[in-house]
Amino acid sequence: MTSMPAAPDRRLGLGIGWRPETDVLATRPELGFVEAVAESVDPRRPPAGLLAARDRGMAVIPHGISLSLGGAERPDARRLAHLAAVAQRLGSPLVSEHIAFVRAGGQEAGHLLPVPRTREALAIMIENVMIAQQALPVPLALEHVATLVEWPGAEYDEAAFVTELLDRTGAELLLDLSNLYANAHNHGYDAREALTRFPLARLAYVHVGGGFYDDHGVYHDTHGDPVVPGVLDLVEELLALTDAPGLLLERDDNFPTGPALAGELDDIAAAARRGSARREGVDDR
Amino acid sequence: MTADRDAYGERQAQLLRALVAGEDLPEGFAPGKATVASRSLRRKRSRDVAKTWPALAFALGSRFDERFDAFARSTAPPVVGGALADGMAFASTLDSGELSEDARVEVLFARARLVHRGGTLRRRTGPFLRAITLHEPRRLLVVAQIARGSTRARTVPLGR
Repeated sequence: MTSMPAAPDRRLGLGIGWRPETDVLATRPELGFVEAVAESVDPRRPPAGLLAARDRGMAVIPHGISLSLGGAERPDARRLAHLAAVAQRLGSPLVSEHIAFVRAGGQEAGHLLPVPRTREALAIMIENVMIAQQALPVPLALEHVATLVEWPGAEYDEAAFVTELLDRTGAELLLDLSNLYANAHNHGYDAREALTRFPLARLAYVHVGGGFYDDHGVYHDTHGDPVVPGVLDLVEELLALTDAPGLLLERDDNFPTGPALAGELDDIAAAARRGSARREGVDDR
Repeated sequence: MTADRDAYGERQAQLLRALVAGEDLPEGFAPGKATVASRSLRRKRSRDVAKTWPALAFALGSRFDERFDAFARSTAPPVVGGALADGMAFASTLDSGELSEDARVEVLFARARLVHRGGTLRRRTGPFLRAITLHEPRRLLVVAQIARGSTRARTVPLGR
């Protein structure tokens, strides 16, 4: 198999999701970037910890959760302006959002809900993404979400839908290996095979997060549990296919202590090294 | 193909209401998976509210999960205000007798600053004055807000 080059030319390294309560964890020397929920940052007065991260040379990526780009409404100008302002203030190399909707019929979901994988939904989302891109000063990366619920009448599988969306808009990929793992497990398909068909040439960075299996064998992607081996395997598989500009440990809850965090980051880095070694082995031939 | 955003939005709204407001699931969705999804969404709301309203969560103790789940089954998340508004709406469904003093104080201060009405959460602009009796030692806690942004509180000892 030929390895694909990662097109966005950035070196982000290892990252974590930044929160005020975990600011100290962000000073760990092995970290190269952080991601912060865009809606919780006031661009006029960003948290000191984020400014400090930026000043230490870390990339700070604003991660939006409320644009609802997969929704029926066009993205709100004020929300876009806020995201743009945060990116500008923090000197961010890119911003990220989701292939999801979070509101409909005047009601908030409080969660990222999946977009139907149909040509109609794709066309609407393409328009929304392009509106967003016009308003943003930096590239936009899109993350696919984990979902237990699936719309009927899918015309694409997830890899194909994401590929088409990014090809038509030029947006970059925020590949979430935990979401891929969760969906493959819960909807019965092969995660490794699907991974090869994601638009990896547009890879901006990668999310790696934890979860657990409930009593019925359903996998819940929670960001509050350790990373399961199956997800680390996907880290290795990814690096065997292509270089990854950044790998971010997603942890929203049950924050690990310093040593436990170091352990999780080490596991991710080790899986990445195993994958790269396999890829470099191929290239040497 | 002309995309019909309105019809698309209506279909999304139906799914959303089924998942977060207890309405019927539209045609074509797997009921089993939707039930697990709804439950998972309610649990996430519950965790967020517990984090934002620690005294309230502590006061209800082991009853918090069940009480909040019952509330969340028929009440969609707030349009504005996140866990703060969600918890405020939840608190208003509880008897003050169910709450510890810490929890009642927590709710009182939130109500002094914020008004939750019709799915929105706003800074309170009008005057607010409430007093509640606290014990050990017996005292009156008076919480007042005169103008937006300045909440005052005084404790008045009550003799025996």
